[in-house]
Amino acid sequence: MSARPVALSILLVFVAVVIQTTLFGAGRIQPLGAAPMLVLAVVVACVRYLDPEPALLLGFTAGLLVDLLGGSPLGLWAMVHVVIAYLTLRLRHRADEAVPLVGFGIFLLALLAQALFLVTSTLFGQSLLTTSGLVKQLVITALYTVIAAAGVVPAVSRLLRDRSVRTWARR
Amino acid sequence: MLPFRRFERSTVLLVGLVMLSFLIATFDVRADGAGMGAMLRTGAQSLFAPVQQLATAVARPIAGFIDGVSNIAGLRDELAVARSENDALRQQLLDVQAMQNRLTELERILDLEPPTDVATVTARIASLAPSDFDQVRWIDRGIADGIAVGQAVIDEDGLVGRIDFVAENSARVRLITDPRSGVGVRDLGTNETGWIEGRGAGPLELKMFGTTKPVQQGERLVTDGTRFPPGIPVGVVAEPAEAVAGFALITTVTPSIQLAELDYVKVVVGWSPLDAVIDPDTGELVDVPLGPVTVE
Repeated sequence: MSARPVALSILLVFVAVVIQTTLFGAGRIQPLGAAPMLVLAVVVACVRYLDPEPALLLGFTAGLLVDLLGGSPLGLWAMVHVVIAYLTLRLRHRADEAVPLVGFGIFLLALLAQALFLVTSTLFGQSLLTTSGLVKQLVITALYTVIAAAGVVPAVSRLLRDRSVRTWARR
Repeated sequence: MLPFRRFERSTVLLVGLVMLSFLIATFDVRADGAGMGAMLRTGAQSLFAPVQQLATAVARPIAGFIDGVSNIAGLRDELAVARSENDALRQQLLDVQAMQNRLTELERILDLEPPTDVATVTARIASLAPSDFDQVRWIDRGIADGIAVGQAVIDEDGLVGRIDFVAENSARVRLITDPRSGVGVRDLGTNETGWIEGRGAGPLELKMFGTTKPVQQGERLVTDGTRFPPGIPVGVVAEPAEAVAGFALITTVTPSIQLAELDYVKVVVGWSPLDAVIDPDTGELVDVPLGPVTVE
């Protein structure tokens, strides 16, 4: 596999992190008190076109960036993004299925990512489970992530499809 | 022979990266955000801050436009409420002016120095948290501007949060709405002290231990001066409550600050908890060398 898709994926993750930390959130765009997980959507979209090892490392890097620019202990989002990248790797052969099914898959991945973060952050002494309206926030964030993915996935596909030597589709 | 190939390389890498993540998190928690974690965060800030500031300049008008369009239906109602509030505030202003005159007169009689304002540094919100679970903001001022960990961050409405990480030219503010934040407060209605904790995007939670007086809806809560300068508005009691014998009084509080409107903030650099004078017998704050913080 050439290095270009990997480099492009890293660049896309950087752009997603910048957009996430400047455009989405309280005071910017945050309808109903939640914002999409744009970085996660980009990781899911990129993993489709990468080999397993670079895909997992991309997830780890993306998560670590989220950790570094957020307020939680380092490593928690990195772990979450790695797990989501791994699950996407396992499921990517089904990415050609009906759009609603893919959307539902991304919804479940976004829910799982948040749940995993909550559990691990609780293990590390972060009292996030006391957040009011937690379930509502989890569901709305997952829905927004699906909406964001609807824009991100085709754009990433267009960018990476031709540049990746071995894609999930050719396997 | 055990089929080692059964474990794919990606699975092995997944396990390795998950373990590495846990290791990093453990070190970061044990180091309390210092050490390697601080170094990495400072590096990430140096890399991202200039890009984020540029992106923020572009994002603000876009976000403002979208926010304006989505709020247009509620503007008429808000205007009516604002007008009635304006009338009430005008009356309160007259009352305050009368009280100020009396205070000046009393200070002159008692030969007291008028309270001085504490030094503050004005900063702007440079970027937001990358996750809804992180109730933090990054500001465009850092060590170079005299910002230090633990300092209070305020805006025109009241207490915003405290500095919990500082880099050369940026700093992280942990908002009072963060579940990991705690603020000592005084109820201006009962003069009792309590503890406020954040609950994410929802209302704050007030806990009062050993109190016998009930709290009423609308009572104002200000900082008690133990950790932050005294007298900074924190919130308003949202639901009346009273303590049941043996249990803490617990109720919800509407924060004074409007999170969605945070833009410019002030970091209180001229005050330390050591400035507060605590009566060793009662444990109460008896005198504060610096007066209540006023926000211009």
